[in-house]
Amino acid sequence: MDNRELIVKLNNLKTINPDSAWLANNRELLLSQISNSGAENISAWKAVLINFSSVARIASRPVFSLGVFILLLLFGSFFGRSLFLNAKPNDSLYIAKIISEKLKVNTTFNTQERDKLALQFATEHAQAITSVLSDPTFNNEANKDQVAKLNDNFKEEVATVQNKFDKLDASKKMTRPGTANPKLNSDFTLIDDNVVIADSARDKQGIQLIDSAASQIKAEEVLESTKASSALSSLAAKEAKINLASSTGNIASSSESAPEVNKNGASQILDEAQKLFDQKDYSQASKKLKEVEEIIK
Amino acid sequence: MSNLVQKFKDRQVLSRLKNRDKEAFIRVYDQNVKDIYRFVYFKISNREEANDLTSMIFLKTWNHIQNKTLEDAKTLRALLYKIARNSIIDYYRENNGKQFTSLDNQDNKLEIIDESQNTPEDLDKKTNLNLIKSKLPLLKDEYREIIIMRFINDLSLEEIADISGKNRGNVRVLLHRALNALRELIEKDQGSNNE
Repeated sequence: MDNRELIVKLNNLKTINPDSAWLANNRELLLSQISNSGAENISAWKAVLINFSSVARIASRPVFSLGVFILLLLFGSFFGRSLFLNAKPNDSLYIAKIISEKLKVNTTFNTQERDKLALQFATEHAQAITSVLSDPTFNNEANKDQVAKLNDNFKEEVATVQNKFDKLDASKKMTRPGTANPKLNSDFTLIDDNVVIADSARDKQGIQLIDSAASQIKAEEVLESTKASSALSSLAAKEAKINLASSTGNIASSSESAPEVNKNGASQILDEAQKLFDQKDYSQASKKLKEVEEIIK
Repeated sequence: MSNLVQKFKDRQVLSRLKNRDKEAFIRVYDQNVKDIYRFVYFKISNREEANDLTSMIFLKTWNHIQNKTLEDAKTLRALLYKIARNSIIDYYRENNGKQFTSLDNQDNKLEIIDESQNTPEDLDKKTNLNLIKSKLPLLKDEYREIIIMRFINDLSLEEIADISGKNRGNVRVLLHRALNALRELIEKDQGSNNE
């Protein structure tokens, strides 16, 4: 006989039970004995209270608390914002929206994405403030404290937008080829007027260098062919020449200055929005903020 | 997850008992009375005494809970077994160490559910049970107790450790030794019968 066989046989001893009549009698006897010592049926509200405290005690265990916290964090970051999307700065739920947005921003690990999100949220907040202040039923003497607070908040949000724009711009400059990647300079000799283009015909490192002389020859060929084709082609050639000049000399600078334009344009629009806001032209300020939002997108 | 639900239920019943809830006590009684009876019965080997002791154990548990001394056991089941152990010790003390060594006498016929079907398998099962039942009292008290808790009443190692005041490793070793001791007794008996 091995241990397993023995255990099976031991398990069969479960069939030994007390007499059922004794069980029932003893149950009644015990019930009367404990009733004499003050036992009673507890009320429904007390039962609910006990259930609640039992859950609270289980939930207070560190591992469980941590699990719940992580779940809340994930839920908050993914769904919290959509739940309170329509909350306005004068609503009581607005704070929940702000918290969920902060959660979402803080749980975004990519720095650029995080800045972009913060920028987007700050712009939305500023817009929400303008829309609330444009409502005459709210923006009156009775709510002057709240209005003053919202005015301050608007300035803060605009400052945040400006700050995030600067930050994003700085990070873009850092990642720009030729400036941030010294390896690139050592591997390729960049002559004046070189254009760095990433296209389908790029090399192993994903970068193709187009020589300005080669591109000029190509452009001249196009020019010759257009001259021969029709009378209109002369006009086209002029245009082509203009394009050529810009493509050879200024492509790099124009492509690199695009974010600058965005940033400068956005700063300008923000300033205008701020001025309009100060002038209490909330609808126009809101429009300007929408423009900023478009630039962010 | 089921572990968490069990903990919640335990906590809920304990809180209800502390609030003198009659219903909760009856639920505890219904859930545990057969196990406690079996535990007592295999230890004192007397049906009538086991009935009285079982009843007393539940009453003592109720009083223990009302005196707010519940925190000394991890679960309610562990508390019941602890009180049962102490009650059995008191019982032996009162009877001056008198011990019923046989469970297999004329007064204590083994009850097997569905006895109407007396097939050869049933008879074999009955014989095996009687054999084990007769050998259990011959084991050391410590071994017998651990075998009852683990293999008859299905307590977990944690619960047994909590009840007996040992750690899990010790309980495991003790179980192994207890099983070996019981097997030796049975094999010895079978060997002498064959001769």
